[in-house]
Amino acid sequence: MICDQCGERPASVIVKQTQQGQLTERHLCHICAAGNQSINIAFEQDPMAIHQLLSNWFPAQQKTINPVRKEVAVCPTCGFTFTKFLELGKFGCASCYDTFEPHLVEIFKRLHNGNIEHNGKIPASYGNTLKIKKDIEELRKQMKTSVEGEDFEKAAKLRDEIRVLNTQLEGGVSNGD
Amino acid sequence: MAIDRFLRPKASSWMANDGENVDIAMSTRIRLARNLNDFQFPYAFSEDEALKVDKAISAVLLDKGRELDYNFTHIDIQETPTLEREVLVEKHLISPYLAKGQHSGSVLLSNNEELSIMVNEEDHLRIQSLQSGFHLQEAYQVAHQLDSLLEKHLSYAFHEKFGYLTSCPTNTGTGMRASVMLHLPALTMSHQINRIIPAISRLGMVVRGSYGEGSEALGNVYQISNQLTLGKSEYEILQDLQNMTEQIIQQERRAREAILNNSPVVLEDRIYRSLGTLTHSRLLTTEEAATCLSDVRLGIDLKMIKDMDMSILNELMIFMQPAFLQQYSNKPLQPKERDFARARLFRERLNRESLNDEGEDFV
Repeated sequence: MICDQCGERPASVIVKQTQQGQLTERHLCHICAAGNQSINIAFEQDPMAIHQLLSNWFPAQQKTINPVRKEVAVCPTCGFTFTKFLELGKFGCASCYDTFEPHLVEIFKRLHNGNIEHNGKIPASYGNTLKIKKDIEELRKQMKTSVEGEDFEKAAKLRDEIRVLNTQLEGGVSNGD
Repeated sequence: MAIDRFLRPKASSWMANDGENVDIAMSTRIRLARNLNDFQFPYAFSEDEALKVDKAISAVLLDKGRELDYNFTHIDIQETPTLEREVLVEKHLISPYLAKGQHSGSVLLSNNEELSIMVNEEDHLRIQSLQSGFHLQEAYQVAHQLDSLLEKHLSYAFHEKFGYLTSCPTNTGTGMRASVMLHLPALTMSHQINRIIPAISRLGMVVRGSYGEGSEALGNVYQISNQLTLGKSEYEILQDLQNMTEQIIQQERRAREAILNNSPVVLEDRIYRSLGTLTHSRLLTTEEAATCLSDVRLGIDLKMIKDMDMSILNELMIFMQPAFLQQYSNKPLQPKERDFARARLFRERLNRESLNDEGEDFV
């Protein structure tokens, strides 16, 4: 067996560590094992082992031991069940998002610090109006930052850009700006 | 073969060394995850679909990429030998996941290696933009432009509420992961890093050791990146990361000063021992090389070591890795043989280059 850490020398030491109640076992060579005391264990693994987090949050969904429990949702396009999504921690296709939508708010809240809605770039092809609306929102935020940073020249420029976008919107209301 | 130019022991331009704060912030990376609307995602699609996705995306990039002055080289992953895939991983041009080649997939590389587009990784499309130094906005602009070009020709999976739909719920929204590689020897030596990391993660960002996959903060190199992709716009995410990185850089500078003031001789001794190790060893393990590289790097930053080019160190950080060494030596190497080859590589590069003082024109 090759050392888990350097991936080069043969492993000669088994290091067992308990972290948050989970026992991990690593096979290390003598050099890595010797240097191991100084290693910060926070780096041991990807902190976002997503399927583990999901399974812990939705333990009821995970009980495959109970055959009586019905699958709640099956994605019509890819055939992923909600249980499979939790096990893998991955979606099978775009329709999964619609199929599992009732559960997603809860999941996104936890993964994204309470955020559940996209607030960034929008494909140009995806409806011009929505894009303009979101662009305006984004420019407003930038304008606010500029004002806070007392960069009034930039703020004025942004304000003008917002005006142009507002007129582009049909029946564009400037929302009290 | 088209791939050969990317396998040569020659640094990519994003490994060069320029810009403000480059002594601490080594490189910047932006990654955008996208999927096509009409195909199942890689965890569910069939081999037939994988092939179609690969063809559709590659065709657009090879044809329309020229609009943005990119002449992409297309590399089919499954046709690429394992060692060559590993070299691409070590150069950060593809991910270890893509290198596994579980289904039809490819990578399209720009000539300067600053853009790398992975097809059929965890998502259909992963646009990766790399820059030397600390250049979040610039790196984002490159990725954003290419993304907008692709979007004209491909229909993306997008949701009014959830944004860009990705395989993993941690990427949903902007699909953007922005990261900066930081060299933080003084914060590490003074153990302050252990206090900084938890503070950062409370603000929706994450710090981890970064030196190849699965390794800890080898060589005191850390990667800080955004964790949230929903709720904030790309602009806000980049702004937050920018601010946080600037603060960490300041902390590192302060820690360096403190160490220099409190124990200059101990520090100087450590730096010169490491220089000696790199220039005279006959056997060098990865860990020892990484540690010594970090010390020598610090020595250059603190002006203790002069007449040594930092960009050579950046280059060596990449070339000292196992696959590269084997590529460089032109044969498979056992671990002990690799330690020997690594030591030889360091002697050759450092002793010769420091004599020639050729500057940065290796790029």
